[in-house]
Amino acid sequence: ENISDFSLNITDCAQVVVPEEVFFTVAAAGILENLLILIAVVRNKNLHLPMYFFICSLAISDMLGSLYKTLENIFIILCKMGYLTRHGDFEKKLDDAMDSMFILSLLGSIFSLLAIAADRYITIFYALRYHNIMTLRRAVVILAIIWAFCAGSSIAIALFSYEAATVIPFTVLFPLMMFFILCLYVHMFLLARSHAKKIASLPSSTVHHRANMKGAITLTIFLGVFLCCWAPFVLHILLARFCPHNPYCACYMSIFHVNGTLIMCNAIINPMIFAFRSPELRNTFKKMFYCSR
Amino acid sequence: MSALRLISNRTSQQALSNSDYTWDYEYYEYGPVSFDGLKAHKYSIVIGFWVGLAVFVIFMFFVLTLLTKTGAPHQDNAELSEKRFRMNSFVADFGRPLESERVFSQQMAEESQSLFHFCINEVDHMNKEKESQKGPSLESNTHFQEVPKSSGMFEEDVHCLTKFNIPNFVNTEQNSSLGEDDLLISEPPITVENKLVMQTSHRILD
Repeated sequence: ENISDFSLNITDCAQVVVPEEVFFTVAAAGILENLLILIAVVRNKNLHLPMYFFICSLAISDMLGSLYKTLENIFIILCKMGYLTRHGDFEKKLDDAMDSMFILSLLGSIFSLLAIAADRYITIFYALRYHNIMTLRRAVVILAIIWAFCAGSSIAIALFSYEAATVIPFTVLFPLMMFFILCLYVHMFLLARSHAKKIASLPSSTVHHRANMKGAITLTIFLGVFLCCWAPFVLHILLARFCPHNPYCACYMSIFHVNGTLIMCNAIINPMIFAFRSPELRNTFKKMFYCSR
Repeated sequence: MSALRLISNRTSQQALSNSDYTWDYEYYEYGPVSFDGLKAHKYSIVIGFWVGLAVFVIFMFFVLTLLTKTGAPHQDNAELSEKRFRMNSFVADFGRPLESERVFSQQMAEESQSLFHFCINEVDHMNKEKESQKGPSLESNTHFQEVPKSSGMFEEDVHCLTKFNIPNFVNTEQNSSLGEDDLLISEPPITVENKLVMQTSHRILD
């Protein structure tokens, strides 16, 4: 049978499929972990602090991302089994709603990371005034503004996703925010280095180098994880908008499910590098699990 | 995202028949893609992207470690004077009364001034201690008992540097000794805050 030039050669760049078990396991782990953090912060009065509220905000956006992927997979399965039609109006609206949830999750993650970095920055450079600058009420107001902005933008982006005018700001926002967060952390890092040098004037200077190496490693992990988990997806959006018929772009877009799984892995890793570092939170978890026995 | 399929369909409407314009949850049956005559490997964007990302992250890591290694201990004096200037500007900032709880803020201002003087004196005395091995004497009115322990405190700092901690102790240490409404700054929180200034940055990044 003659295959025209425009038909897809199915053997090239077929969709890379992630097994559903892996998908659901990763998603469930992400949702559970972040839910635990929310419960722990709510139950322990000592954790009602601005810093933990920002970590909760990050946990919520991670949960939304994993939830989106789970729901989407469930819908695909329902479609395959025939319970849902593919061309219905209801499905379109549902799909729009789910897309906006996903963009909300991405924007929420970025802004939560920014808020955490800014909070730590204020902790270091305005240490004695911290209690007055970052009161609980202000933290709640900041979070409300962030989430309102993210919700509005996500609905707008999902509704107008065919305009280049939405795709470009979306993809520009991502590296801009990363760069800003990097600058905040580097400044904090430089202060830590100058303190460590003062400590290094003591005989025990070998520890100083190891400690600053750890600082470099920690910072790289923070930003590297976020970049590696979200950048593939952002590139996907760019390519889908600007070169969907280019064979190279099409091959990149065939690994879409892997990119989705990476985003869910980010939901699992984020609590480990932010929330579980806090001894208070870890103690709360231990108490929760020992009490439930 | 199936919204993206919508994007690709709208741009290719001339090429496709209308029956391809559907909402389809089985993604990315990209119709009109020709894989003939590719010059480079077909996954070149994928490979290029991941290699670029890895290179960037490693580059960032090396820049950060280089930041660690540049600057030797003999630059301490220059840094110390810079730090003193910064501390003085902190103190100047702090002299302004805050919008609420002026008593609190004025007490904090006085305590912070003495705290910073203590810090400056302490570092000065650390340097002198290296040469003379004598216990320093302080003209500051706080914590004479802290000075002989200062080298011990720094060793504790150094031990603390190896821990991974989120900097929570701005709040927790104050919460443990003060209530929200406690306007009295008693002496123990000053030592807490002294540690705080020196340790916060380490704890965040360690």
